[in-house]
Amino acid sequence: MIGRWIVGFAFLLHTSPRYRHYKKFFHNLLENPSYPYKKFFDYVMMALIVLSVYILIRHVKHEMSAEWLFFNSYVISLIFLAEYLLRLWVYSDVSKIIIEQYEHDLFLQRSFGWRSAVRQTLSSKAGYVFSPSAIIDLLAIMPFFHELRMLRIFILFRVFKLFRYTKSLTQFVSILSSKKFEIFTLGLFATVIIVVSSVLIYIMEANNPESPINTLFDAVYWSVVTIFTVGYGDFVPVTEEGRTVAMVIIVAGIAVMSFATSIVVSAFTEKLDEIKDDKLVDDVSKLSRFYIVCGYSPLTREVVQRFHKSGKTVVVLEKDAAKAQEAHKAGITALAMDSSSLATYQTLKIDFERQVESVLLFQESDVLNVYTALTVRELSAGIEILSILNQVENRRKLLLAGINKIVYTQELIGLMSKQVSGKPVAFDVINALRAEKSGVYIEEIALDNYTRNRFFDTITLPLFQKRLIVLGLYKTVKKSFFFNPDATVDIEAGDVAIVIGTRALIDEFKAMTYQKGRR
Amino acid sequence: MKYNSAIVFGFNEYAKQIIRQISGEYPNFEVFVMSEEELASVHAAGYEGELFDLGENWQSIQRRFDLNSLIVFCALHNDAENVFLTISLRSVFWHLPIIALAGEHESARKLKSAGANKVMPILQITAGVISEMLEKPIVNEVIHDILYENSALKIAQITVPKDSFLVGKYLYDIDWASEFDVIVIAVVDHELSATFSFTSKGHNHHIDPEDILVVIGYDDKIAILSEAIGVQQ
Repeated sequence: MIGRWIVGFAFLLHTSPRYRHYKKFFHNLLENPSYPYKKFFDYVMMALIVLSVYILIRHVKHEMSAEWLFFNSYVISLIFLAEYLLRLWVYSDVSKIIIEQYEHDLFLQRSFGWRSAVRQTLSSKAGYVFSPSAIIDLLAIMPFFHELRMLRIFILFRVFKLFRYTKSLTQFVSILSSKKFEIFTLGLFATVIIVVSSVLIYIMEANNPESPINTLFDAVYWSVVTIFTVGYGDFVPVTEEGRTVAMVIIVAGIAVMSFATSIVVSAFTEKLDEIKDDKLVDDVSKLSRFYIVCGYSPLTREVVQRFHKSGKTVVVLEKDAAKAQEAHKAGITALAMDSSSLATYQTLKIDFERQVESVLLFQESDVLNVYTALTVRELSAGIEILSILNQVENRRKLLLAGINKIVYTQELIGLMSKQVSGKPVAFDVINALRAEKSGVYIEEIALDNYTRNRFFDTITLPLFQKRLIVLGLYKTVKKSFFFNPDATVDIEAGDVAIVIGTRALIDEFKAMTYQKGRR
Repeated sequence: MKYNSAIVFGFNEYAKQIIRQISGEYPNFEVFVMSEEELASVHAAGYEGELFDLGENWQSIQRRFDLNSLIVFCALHNDAENVFLTISLRSVFWHLPIIALAGEHESARKLKSAGANKVMPILQITAGVISEMLEKPIVNEVIHDILYENSALKIAQITVPKDSFLVGKYLYDIDWASEFDVIVIAVVDHELSATFSFTSKGHNHHIDPEDILVVIGYDDKIAILSEAIGVQQ
C-alpha cells in the first residue's frame, strides 16, 4: 500500500508541468551561473550577509532596536532557511529515483522495494547535507535560535556563505584544494613540531618559578606563536634548555612558513592560465553582439582591426594555443578552442540568434571550414556564415555546407588587376573609399517611414548640395538599384540610400533627415 | 593609356586569376615563369610562356614587346622574389608600368620603394572586402557590380581634352547629375597630378586640360558625356 502511494506520488510529480517548471526555475536561480536572474539573487543574498554581520558588530558596543535584532535573528535566518531547503530540493530528483527503482523492480518482476527507493532518496539528499557548503549554510541559519547566546557567533558563518556567490572566492578555494597533499604534509609537519616543542618547553620551563610558561596550554600557545613566526613576547623561555628548544623551533618555523608560501604561490602559478581562460570564457558568454572568427591568420588580424575600428566586438577561436596566444598579444580576444567542435560552443554558452552577428571562417583549409560550418549550422540555421575559399574547386562544397558568403581572394585580385591596368585612377578612388582613410566615406542610410518622406527635401538643402553625393537608392523589396535618383523616385520604408561624403556631413544629413521626419 | 601588351610573372593561383581576367584584353600576352614545370603548365593552359630568372637579362622583353605599350604584373608567390623582380625590371626599364602583388603590408612598402607603379596588398584588399560585405552589404554589392561590370553601371576616367568646353570652368558650374545623368566622384588635377581629390570634399575645382574626371554612370550616358567633352573615341 505504502509503495503504491509513493509510486503514484512520484509519477504525479514527474508528469506535472507546473512542478517541473518551478523546480527548473529554482534550480536555475540557485545553481545555473548563466541564468540571467541568478546574479540578482546572489547580490541580494550577499547584501543580507553583509547586513547581518554589520548588525552583529554594531551590537557589541551599541544598543540595537528590537526590529533590527528581529530582522537579523528571524527574517534573515528564515530567508537562509528557505534557501537551504530549496537547495536541498533541487539537489536531486526524488521522483525520478523512485520511478527508476519502480521500473527496475517491474522489469525483474519483483514487488516494488519502496524501502530501497527511500534509502536511495535519502542517500542522494545526504550528498548535499554533508557537503561543506551545505554545512556552512546550516550553521548560518543557527542564529535563528538566538536564545542560545553562544549560537550568535554562528552569524560569522554567514560570511563563509559568500563563497557561494562570488566566483573568485570559489576559485581561491579550488586552487588551494589542488594542493591538498602538500597542505596535508605541511600540516602534519607543523603539528609534529608543535607537539614535540610544546612537550619539550613544558618539561624545561614548567618547574621554573621565573618562567611564565606554567601549563601545557601555555606551552602549546608559545609553540604556535613561535612556529608561525609571530612571537608576541608575552611568553618567553627563561632556562637555557628552553631557549635551545626555542632556537630549534624558530628555524623550523621559517621552514614551515616558506613551505606554506611556496605551496600557495605554486598553486596560483599553475592555475593562472586556467583562471585567465575561465575568465575569458565567462566574459565571452556575457557579450551581447559579436562576430566569431574561426582561425587566426594575418587575414584575421586585418579584418579584426577593421572591426575594432568601427567599434565591433570580435572573438577569435583558434585551436592552436600558440597562435591564440599570438592573437592575444595583438590585442584580440582569442580563445584556444576548437571552432569545429560542438563542445566549444556549449562551453561558451553562446546563443547564436541573440549574441552572434556572423561567423567568419578563416582557416587555411576548406576541409576545416566546411566541418566548422556544419557544426555552426547544427546550432543555428539562420546565422550568417562567411568563409574564405582556399581551393576554387571546393566552392560548391562550401555552399552545400550552408555557407552564405564566399570570398575567393585570388579571384578578387584577378578582377581588380583588370581595373588597375585599365582604369588605375578609378581603382584608386574606389579603394580609397573602401579603405576609409581619405576622409570621404561611402555609407548606407536605411530609410524608415519617417525619413523617407523628407529625404529629397533634405538632400537639396544648400548645405548638402554638391557635397553629399547620393550614388543611388536600393529598393529592398524589388532588390533593384536606382542610380542617381531624383525626387520622382518613390521611396519605401526599408529602402537604403547609398551616399558619399565626409563623416561630418553624412552624420549631419542623418540627424537632419531624422529630425525633419519626426516632426 | 591603352596598352597592347602584357606580361604576367608567375603561375600560382593569383597569377592564374589575373591571367584569366586580362589575357583577352591585350593582343600580345605572355606568362613568364621560373621553372620548366610551370612553363609546361602555362603551355598546357593555352598561353604563351617563357622562362626567366631574377638576373639582369631582359633582352627577350626588349626584343619581343613594344616597351611603350607594355604593362607587367609581378605575381610571384614569394614577396621577397616579387620585390627583387620589380627592382630588377625597374633598373632596366625606367618607364615600364609595373603592377605588383604584396602578401604582407610590409612588402607593399618595399614594392613601392622598388619602383612598382601600383601595389595590390592582398590582405588589406581582402580584409576590406570582407568587412564591407558584413557591415555594408549593399555598398559592397553595388561597388562590385560597378567595378566588375555585372551591370550597365560603370566607373570611367575621362581625360579633359585641350579644346573641351569644360576648360576654364569650375566643377560645380555644371550639374552633372541632371544634365548628363552621371556622378563625378573624383578629379585628378593635371597640374598637381600627384593624386585625386574627392568632389564631395567641397573644393570647387578649376578644370584644366588633361585633368581626369572619375565618373560613375551608365555606359551610354558616359559615352554622351565623353562626346560632349570632346574626347576622341
